[in-house]
Amino acid sequence: MKLTNSVVSRLRASILLLATLLLIGFTSPSIQAQFLHPKIKSKETSIRTVVVLPAKVSVVRDSMKGPEGMAAESDELSARVEKIIAEVLSKQKNVTTLSSPTPPTSPSDQGSSQPNYNVADFQTKFDDLLPKIMKKRSDVKKGRFTMGDEVLNLNLEKTTDAIVFIRGEGKKLTGGKTAFTMLVGGVPAYLRLQIGIVDARNGDVLLYTDPIFGGDPTTAVDRLRKALEKGFKKLPAAQPTP
Amino acid sequence: MFYKKSTSLVVGALCFCLVLTSFCPLTMAQKKTAPVEATPPPIREEFNFGKVDLEVLEQSDLLDTKFERDGLVLHDESANAYLRRIGLSLVPKELDLERVRWNFRVLRDPQPNAFALPNGSIYVSTGLIFLIDNESQLAAIIAHEMTHVMRRHTYVQNRSNRKKFLTMNIMSAIGTYAPGGIVGAVITIVTTVAPFILIATVYGYSRDLEREADLKGVDMMISAEYSPEEMVNVMKLLNKDFEGENIRLFYNDHPALDERIKYLSSYLGTRADKVTHQMELNRERAAYFGQMESVMRHDLQLAINATRFRSAVYLAQRLVDFHPDSENLFWLAEAYRTLGPRSQQLTEKELTNSGKKDAAKKRLKRTLEEEERELLETPAGKDNWQQHQQKAEEFYLRASNAENPVPAVHRGLGMLYEKLGRANDAASEYEKYVELAPTAIDRERIKKRIEALRRT
Repeated sequence: MKLTNSVVSRLRASILLLATLLLIGFTSPSIQAQFLHPKIKSKETSIRTVVVLPAKVSVVRDSMKGPEGMAAESDELSARVEKIIAEVLSKQKNVTTLSSPTPPTSPSDQGSSQPNYNVADFQTKFDDLLPKIMKKRSDVKKGRFTMGDEVLNLNLEKTTDAIVFIRGEGKKLTGGKTAFTMLVGGVPAYLRLQIGIVDARNGDVLLYTDPIFGGDPTTAVDRLRKALEKGFKKLPAAQPTP
Repeated sequence: MFYKKSTSLVVGALCFCLVLTSFCPLTMAQKKTAPVEATPPPIREEFNFGKVDLEVLEQSDLLDTKFERDGLVLHDESANAYLRRIGLSLVPKELDLERVRWNFRVLRDPQPNAFALPNGSIYVSTGLIFLIDNESQLAAIIAHEMTHVMRRHTYVQNRSNRKKFLTMNIMSAIGTYAPGGIVGAVITIVTTVAPFILIATVYGYSRDLEREADLKGVDMMISAEYSPEEMVNVMKLLNKDFEGENIRLFYNDHPALDERIKYLSSYLGTRADKVTHQMELNRERAAYFGQMESVMRHDLQLAINATRFRSAVYLAQRLVDFHPDSENLFWLAEAYRTLGPRSQQLTEKELTNSGKKDAAKKRLKRTLEEEERELLETPAGKDNWQQHQQKAEEFYLRASNAENPVPAVHRGLGMLYEKLGRANDAASEYEKYVELAPTAIDRERIKKRIEALRRT
């Protein structure tokens, strides 16, 4: 059989793509960018205590017949990401994580949905700000982004320095789709997180990082941990309180 | 040589078959859209649940839980009960649908929207509740969404999409390994074009299901003795674009609103045997506003949070026209204060599709503070700001002089004066607010502002 030039060039391209995919699959490179607010860089502000708001991470299962929802797995992953972030911040940066916004203090609020709405509205506010940050992430270094003093409405403990917002999206491939991706090309399994740390006193975005790694997001716990460790690499560790 | 030829032939034949099957849904879809008179029965009988359908059902139940947990569902018992009463009045009597449990909920979202999950959960956003005028219009929306559930549209569309995705993937594989020569070039062209056709059929099919839900919704309204012409009026209301965000895209999963108004009017011409008098509609409107006033106030806060300032002014004015009490006047003042230097209405140029696209790009680039700063540097922006702050002050003062004034009026005045550079006035208004509302959720924020103002 004599191969034409076009077939040879296609084969070369396929082999190159396959090699790239294998590289992604086996070495799990974690590409991340981190941007720090000038106040953090100059150590004018330091982060010792944070509150992690519920993470919103969603993963889909990509099969040959299209994407399928994975609501339960997404919830599990969200909880795992929150937990690992708290561990990374504590072990590497001496940052204490408080569980969640404090329960309602006013008697009229007891049993009402207001605190839940309040958290939901802040999550939405961050979702509105996120595309603007993504458009020019490096402007976090100029201190351009803020959520305003409305953050005080969350009524967090007075010692809280910052609030952590977590968003993420990922894709898990079925066996068939994995084989198809290797042969034809396409986006491999991955998880991309978008994490913003916001000043709990004035709403300034103090840090933005978006770690990403290749591999099944629902099972690759070690890769997730490594990606998060690298994602917070530039954040200065808090000095232990004397 | 023979090998190459036979491969090309096999691949070419396969391609032809796939393109043929990909065209089939398109022709089927076109057939469905033909006569407006022929609406299908309300329920898809003999629907057999497969594994894939049960997975979709499971995901729907999980979504319900997620909406609840994420604080997206409004816990207003009276509003949810009202939706339920309307919804159940539309369900055909003695209907027992397999794996459907009707649930009607208000979604905390200022964008006018409604949707149904296949498990029978119907969500209507606060933004839509505020936009519409009466119960019949709400019934029109619910009837439309219930049709999606009764006709099993989600499952049907999911099954259809899965087949199309599989076809697209196979086409893409064939395209990657297409041989050289003329046959190869043809295959490459076909496999490149076919996915676009398939995507068009996905959206086309979705539009057909929407059309079916519109027409069947009218039938359900007539059966439940709601004014069917209100379905058309809902479409007209949805056509109002205060924020310049309804951008026409190449693909749309809903028919264009103009088209919906057209076919619904045509359908009503043959089906409507009842025309409601204006007086009756006015009475219905008053009852509807009375029932939904608290939801509308909640939506105003959400609209302002979501920077939908123009919508907020329009909606708050409607609320004040209905019931000019202290709280509604306060919301109108808030809407004007936050509108700031923006114009109250978009210009014709801003409402063109290219104008809307430009605005969307700018929204992505600029933060809210940057947008306001830029506008304040223009003469029009300065004028708008002056007019709006005057209106805001006027309504705040009217709200504070009305019966049972709400404490938040003082917070609003404080914010207005702070922006105007009247530090002392701002601090005193904030102090009044903290005194009148000692347990308010934003007391810490206001106290911090007082401290800062007193320092200056």
